[in-house]
Amino acid sequence: MKKTLPWILFLWIALVIWGAFKYAPLAEGFIGDSSRILFFHVPMAWGAFVGFIAAGIWSARYLFGNRDPRHDRAALASIEVGLIFCILATVSGAIWAKVMWGTYWNWDPRQVWITVAILFYGAYLALRSAVQDRQTRRRLAAAYAILGLVVAPFLFFILPRMTGFTLHPEPVVNQQGKMEMNPQILHVLLLGSSGFTVLFFWIHNLRCRLEDLAESAMFPSQGAHNDR
Amino acid sequence: MSQDISIWTTEALAVFAKEWRCELRTGYALNTLGLFAITTLVVMSISLGHLGIASTEPTTVLPVLLWILLLFAVSAGLPRAFVFEEESQTAIALRLSARPSSLFCGKLAYSFSVVLALEIIVTPLFLTLMHLKIETMPVLLFALVAGGYGLAAGGTLVAAIIAQARSSTTLFSVLALPVLLPLLVLAIEITRSAVAGDPAPIASRQLLLYDGSVTIAGLLLFPAVWNP
Amino acid sequence: MALQSPVSLSFQGLYRNFGRLAVLRDISGSVSAGEILLVTGANGSGKSTLLKCLAGLLAPDLGSIKYWEVGQEFTTAERRLRLGYAAPDLSFYDELTAEENLDFFARMRRCPTQRPRELLDRVDLPGGRMGHALSSGMRQRLRWCWALLHRPRLLLLDEPFQNLDEPGCRAATQLLEEHLANGAAVVANPGALDLPYVTRHLNLDN
Repeated sequence: MKKTLPWILFLWIALVIWGAFKYAPLAEGFIGDSSRILFFHVPMAWGAFVGFIAAGIWSARYLFGNRDPRHDRAALASIEVGLIFCILATVSGAIWAKVMWGTYWNWDPRQVWITVAILFYGAYLALRSAVQDRQTRRRLAAAYAILGLVVAPFLFFILPRMTGFTLHPEPVVNQQGKMEMNPQILHVLLLGSSGFTVLFFWIHNLRCRLEDLAESAMFPSQGAHNDR
Repeated sequence: MSQDISIWTTEALAVFAKEWRCELRTGYALNTLGLFAITTLVVMSISLGHLGIASTEPTTVLPVLLWILLLFAVSAGLPRAFVFEEESQTAIALRLSARPSSLFCGKLAYSFSVVLALEIIVTPLFLTLMHLKIETMPVLLFALVAGGYGLAAGGTLVAAIIAQARSSTTLFSVLALPVLLPLLVLAIEITRSAVAGDPAPIASRQLLLYDGSVTIAGLLLFPAVWNP
Repeated sequence: MALQSPVSLSFQGLYRNFGRLAVLRDISGSVSAGEILLVTGANGSGKSTLLKCLAGLLAPDLGSIKYWEVGQEFTTAERRLRLGYAAPDLSFYDELTAEENLDFFARMRRCPTQRPRELLDRVDLPGGRMGHALSSGMRQRLRWCWALLHRPRLLLLDEPFQNLDEPGCRAATQLLEEHLANGAAVVANPGALDLPYVTRHLNLDN
């Protein structure tokens, strides 16, 4: 599985790239080919969201479980990979916004959300670097990640009301519950989002294994501890 | 059961009383918070009065300024609730004698009372200096009490987290902002309604929900943050 | 195993690192009522760290600590609130008097209101003195009072006689003897003093 997954993933993402440029038609109301960036922008924003949730869940498992350091490392890896997805989603979104709306940044609700997410990820990493003792660091970081997960839903309710309007295209399924998207575009979007989710967990897994190795190299005498 | 609750309340009250006794003998928190808030207020008033924003766009800008003022005054004073316990090493004695839940509630009650005292000093001054007219007073009072409680609850938990880190007071603003942002947006919205004279039912309910969520998160997370 | 003894503490295979530095490596021991476990070792051998782990102020990276009182086992959170601890890094509120400090902690520990007064008299400490005005010897006496407030079954003492003058040492030794009637103690760095009832030894060197 470890050997074949990268190849499956490689083909999967290649298929997404092919689909984005050759299979899906241009969306109506978009300038030029600009709609094609969405096939990467939306999955990356989705990956950032997955990272946020995953960090919260692993932190809770660490804090309220048996304090297994591996759970904390998994939470940290989710934050790190999630932060990269966040930045890529922000940049790709800003490029697209420049083409479509004539400005890189206009404090659209979703832009506010991703800014707060980046601030949160940054604060989490700042907290970790400010605590010397490893156990204390894990405990405090886990508590903070869970706190972030508790308050995040409020932004979803509040922000759209705050700015009143959004320039973002209608969600995939609009309020009437009707699919208004071209089915081919939808296919590529779904393929992309699921592919990027797997990509997220693949990078995440590599990161965790690397950290586990570094840990056991640093404390060879406590092998039992790491295998727990 | 009811006996347990009464003992628990006695403990929380003992923490509350201890905090205020120390505070009244040093006057640290109230001096810092009060002076910080008043200085900022005077600076705002002088610079804004000069620009004339106060008379042209009162409802949009001024509620924002009031809450930013409160947020930063709180960031200057609240972290002390736990930072000084760690710095003066009294945290050890507390860890070995107080039940975490009653300690958290005592500290929270103290922080809330400090924020209320701050609001009692600052808000009338703000309204007078900025020439801001409030149409519905009860709505403003609700925003101050429920918003102040949210600031105290989120702030107390974040203070408990950063107290065990290095350079903790600078870290407080970094960590508190993403957590307190939803509260800030809601409190500003309700304050705007108070200025404009319309009731703010949705935002009020969401603010209460925020307060409740943060309190529950605090009670669940605090024991894990406080104790190894 | 003396499970029915008034108190019993045992720890197995404790490890604790600070960063890359291994301070505790596979430390085991036990103590029960009427006994003193004397912890010895060079500076930096981890005596204070061991006491902090036993007190529940540090979690060991690995290993288990078990604590019983009269056949009932207690969790770490419960043990933390039941034991008595005195160490150099234990401090009190500067803005409160010695007696107010003890009163506050007595309320948190749910013990009778006259208990602080009683202990202050035993160690001959002026209760009205503000925390910041206490001399180092007085602080040490206050630590003894604080540790014994709730009549714990287990005492963890790190440098218990530092800065104490002769009457202070005598009062402290007497308090310790009374405690041992049905309690246990773990002592590190006792100084030059001869301790009664030392029945167990734990050397942390190597």
